[in-house]
Amino acid sequence: MAEEKKDEKKDGCVECQKKKNAQWREDFPVDWESDNYVTRREMVKFLALGSLTIAGANAVVAGLPHMVKASEMPRTRVALASSIPVGGSKLFAYPTEEDPCILVRQNTGDLVAYSQVCTHLSCAVIHDEKENALFCPCHHGYFTVAEGRPYAGPPTRPLPRIKLEQQGNEIFAIGVEI
Amino acid sequence: MSTRQAQGTILFTALLALIGIGVVVQLWLLAASVDALFRHEAGTPLHAAIGSAVVFAINGLLALYVFNFDRKIKQR
Repeated sequence: MAEEKKDEKKDGCVECQKKKNAQWREDFPVDWESDNYVTRREMVKFLALGSLTIAGANAVVAGLPHMVKASEMPRTRVALASSIPVGGSKLFAYPTEEDPCILVRQNTGDLVAYSQVCTHLSCAVIHDEKENALFCPCHHGYFTVAEGRPYAGPPTRPLPRIKLEQQGNEIFAIGVEI
Repeated sequence: MSTRQAQGTILFTALLALIGIGVVVQLWLLAASVDALFRHEAGTPLHAAIGSAVVFAINGLLALYVFNFDRKIKQR
């Protein structure tokens, strides 16, 4: 029995030797030990640099809202305050002609304005007077008029709010709260 | 391979794994930060950035330690 086992071990070793002496090893000799060693060192360097990059990206993301706030936004005349009754709305564009927005007079009499672009899939939201909400007809998303926060349907992010300023009877858009 | 070298190899691998975990945590913080940005939550990205900077500091110190250890081994 012991001799049989020895023979098996020997055969196993012969197989091992065959594998070790495979043709491809001769064609492509690799110094595994030094190769692994170098790879690990390079990996540490790569991870450390990656860590620095991600930390930088995080800092940029944290500073982005402040940078947007700091940038100059145009001051655009939107409407006459007297032209919008309670529960009424008016469409306008801000800050460029390609950014549709909606101005709504709430039941309290206050005026609020939001980007008209739904935060779900960019359809145009409309004012639903019965529901007292901003309604996206594409996927039945609902946003509150008071804060622009989503409360029904697929949208999860609030609508960007347009900052307003009233001078006499005139209403101006002066910025976007992102 | 000497005992010191064997220890070094294990240390190297362990610290590499730790730094890797740190980078994964940073990636998670970045994802959370971007998500919060789109949700208009101003506080979250700031806290995530501070957390990410702390993790980077730890990662940097670990990497420096590894390279110093490596240099010492080579000098012997």
